[in-house]
Amino acid sequence: MAGAIIENMSTKKLVILGVILMLFQAFSFMVGGLIAPSPTAAVSYLATKCVDNEKTHHKNPKWFTPWGPDQCSKIKDFDEAMVKKIEANNIVFAIHIPPPNTEMSTWFQFLLLILHFDIAFKIQNQIADGASITIDVRLAYRDDKLSEWTQMAHSVEQRKLSCNFTAAKTIENEGRLYDCDLLPFMELGSVAHKYYLLNVRLPVNERKKVNIGIGEINDMRLVGIHQNGGFTKVWFAMKTFLTPSVLIIMIWYWKRITQMTRPPVLLEKVIFALGISMTFINIPVEWFSVGFDWTWMLLFGDIRQGIFYAMLLSFWIIFCGEHLMDQTERNRFSVYWKQVIPIVFGSFCLFIFDMCERGVQLKNPFYSIWASDVGTELAMAFIIVAGICACLYFLFLCFMVFQVFRNISGKRSCLPAMTKARRLHYEGLIFRFKFLMLVTLACAAMTVIFFIISQVSEGHWLWGGHTVQVNSAFFTGIYGMWNLYVFALMFLYAPSHKRYGDEQSSADQAGNSGEDTQLTTTITHVDGPTEIYKMTGKEAQE
Amino acid sequence: MNFLPNGICFYLSVAICWFSSRVDASWWYMGTLGSQVMCDNIPGLINKQRQLCRQHPKVMQAIGAGIKNWIGECQHQFRTHRWNCNTMAREHNLFGRLLHRSSREAAFVYAISSAGMVYTLTRACSQGELENCSCDPGKKGSSRDAKGAFDWGGCSDHVDHAIKFTQVFIDAKERKERDARALMNLHNNRAGRKAVKRFMNLECKCHGVSGSCNVRTCWLAMADFRQTGDYLRKKYNNAIQVVMNQYGTGFTSAYRMLKRPNKNDLVYFEDSPDYCIWDHESGSVGTGGRVCNRTSRGTDSCEVMCCGRGYDTSRVSRTTKCECKFQWCCAVHCRDCQEEVDVHTCKTQS
Repeated sequence: MAGAIIENMSTKKLVILGVILMLFQAFSFMVGGLIAPSPTAAVSYLATKCVDNEKTHHKNPKWFTPWGPDQCSKIKDFDEAMVKKIEANNIVFAIHIPPPNTEMSTWFQFLLLILHFDIAFKIQNQIADGASITIDVRLAYRDDKLSEWTQMAHSVEQRKLSCNFTAAKTIENEGRLYDCDLLPFMELGSVAHKYYLLNVRLPVNERKKVNIGIGEINDMRLVGIHQNGGFTKVWFAMKTFLTPSVLIIMIWYWKRITQMTRPPVLLEKVIFALGISMTFINIPVEWFSVGFDWTWMLLFGDIRQGIFYAMLLSFWIIFCGEHLMDQTERNRFSVYWKQVIPIVFGSFCLFIFDMCERGVQLKNPFYSIWASDVGTELAMAFIIVAGICACLYFLFLCFMVFQVFRNISGKRSCLPAMTKARRLHYEGLIFRFKFLMLVTLACAAMTVIFFIISQVSEGHWLWGGHTVQVNSAFFTGIYGMWNLYVFALMFLYAPSHKRYGDEQSSADQAGNSGEDTQLTTTITHVDGPTEIYKMTGKEAQE
Repeated sequence: MNFLPNGICFYLSVAICWFSSRVDASWWYMGTLGSQVMCDNIPGLINKQRQLCRQHPKVMQAIGAGIKNWIGECQHQFRTHRWNCNTMAREHNLFGRLLHRSSREAAFVYAISSAGMVYTLTRACSQGELENCSCDPGKKGSSRDAKGAFDWGGCSDHVDHAIKFTQVFIDAKERKERDARALMNLHNNRAGRKAVKRFMNLECKCHGVSGSCNVRTCWLAMADFRQTGDYLRKKYNNAIQVVMNQYGTGFTSAYRMLKRPNKNDLVYFEDSPDYCIWDHESGSVGTGGRVCNRTSRGTDSCEVMCCGRGYDTSRVSRTTKCECKFQWCCAVHCRDCQEEVDVHTCKTQS
């Protein structure tokens, strides 16, 4: 590989660049921690039990509103329904999203609903083993409080009940609630309307065993999760700022490559591809979701993230391979197919899984791959295969890193005996590799640490008088960090434009044919290499 | 308004009762008025409570409807005891004169009623029945509360609002009077509110890229009210008898060897009356006529329940439902079974 900027940069300049990047890093953490609210909000809803007195099943369904001027006729509990001889098929659970005096906003980006049943224990009406609930659900929307509701989705879904009764099953404990698992219910990929309405029925069909053996359902609870509007605004602003930054460095990088007389080497191409994928994930296409009802934004975001991660993992493999100094086969992508296949295959499995889940939800928001046995097995299979590919990749990467370090230590012992040109070349390779290894490990460690913190902590800390949103800081900080990583990579590993010294001709005269393949360029600079560079060279000599 | 003669008699009797006796926690009475809550006609509400009643009529309806819930829980917890949390519908005060005494039972009733109001309001908020739950109306589409705007960072949980409102409403009367009983009620009301909060479960959901835990959202879910009732029942069993300290600002344990009460304990001043005998002065109705369990060894055994006065046995033939098949919600098909059982009831005092 040709000499990169990082080798020729003075220590002073390198430190200045590092400090600037650190300041941007701290700023990106603070934007999330201090300005943005928490990433998501959860609102609890308790379904209202409405009575459908219409006996006919006409084409246009009537919509039952739990509150407001045209609210439905309600029952408080099912003892009341028993007394009035109301049938199960005439009970409609009605949920209005959002709560009174609030409006949904396009800034919320998605709406995820989770279902929980309150089922009371009764000795003579227990939950059968392996029971599943059949749910007939309709979703409607309107954009002002006086409009008619417009149907958006309708589906008949099944969900498996998984309930435990922790107390003894005695008559004294009748009326106590089972401990039931949460059930996935609905996911909308965009929130384009202000008001949503859900009407849910639990139809009973004794002959077909529909909703038989589900126990005594007292209530239906939903939890609505959406992205906070403030977080969305901060996130979009960050993306809008980062896109031109990475784009500019990408253009500059390409100009540097094209200015050279030789064609770009594989590593330079891979770095450029990494910049493209980073820009692709940065482009704030989400701004369109504020104006358009595009439900595929979530899926599109997932795909972009997948592309970036695949490219990043491939870059690490190729970077290691290109720094194996004794390898005669290099600068060709075909050399790395063994290591890249696990990345591609694992990414493909996750892509299929995402299409099976979020892709189907574009048509039917109530679909969940976990609701059926076949779906659960398929999902687990895809996830397991992706996990195996991740492990394989990790082993390959560790092995290659090990090889590079062994190569480095072998080469270091030979450094004093080399000619000056060869020694400078190898020292440059060693410095480049160690620098990137250090920075990559730091970024990966930071990502893992913050992931663990966000799982364990409550989500916000009180710091002085301010509330620090740790989860938001995690998102903006880590996102900013990887952008800075790619930025620094393209800047520092761009080819240097320094002139070659006089040693080139002498190297040609004294070098043998075997070593010539290793020496594509030589490095000279009037300022000399950085202090770190000198120390590594001196250490090698000792 | 034009009252019918029986209406006039009703209000006259209410007025007479109001003047003739002191009324505690008059808001309990709202349940007996049904959905027709008339703030000015509930005896014993102080001005602040009446004002809140007028400002939030739907809240009052929800509270009235929820009274049945916590009374049922109270009666469940004490179903096998001499005092069984019975209410007297014909009295203007639900529990009669029983709560005039600063007893253990009064402490429990105040705590569970406070907890019941929090529970009821939280449910009403989740159903959307109340308008000003956790986001006060501001500009269009930008409702906000102390936590911030709904469309920026979301609003508080419903339970936080319910606790605040319950505290303001229930404690208004006690804060107006500065005597020992008021302090006791304030303490027990707060213990009840904390009991509900104690059983909020933190539930989390992982979502994000491919369902990984890239994003995780948590919320507080309210548990079964029975758990709160069980907890307060344990607190009742371990309630602490206290006296006022010399400054009149707090409590000291009545017996030096016992621990001082903390915020979760129930406190009381006076020993309980003898619930065995009917005593108009203390409000005890006695255990005469109560059904007891001859084979039990607990508090519902005939020996304990009847206070040693003996019991009557009668053979009763009754029709029960058996071999029931349930359909969810609203239908049950059963066979009728005939059986004869012995019913034991306590003798009345002679």
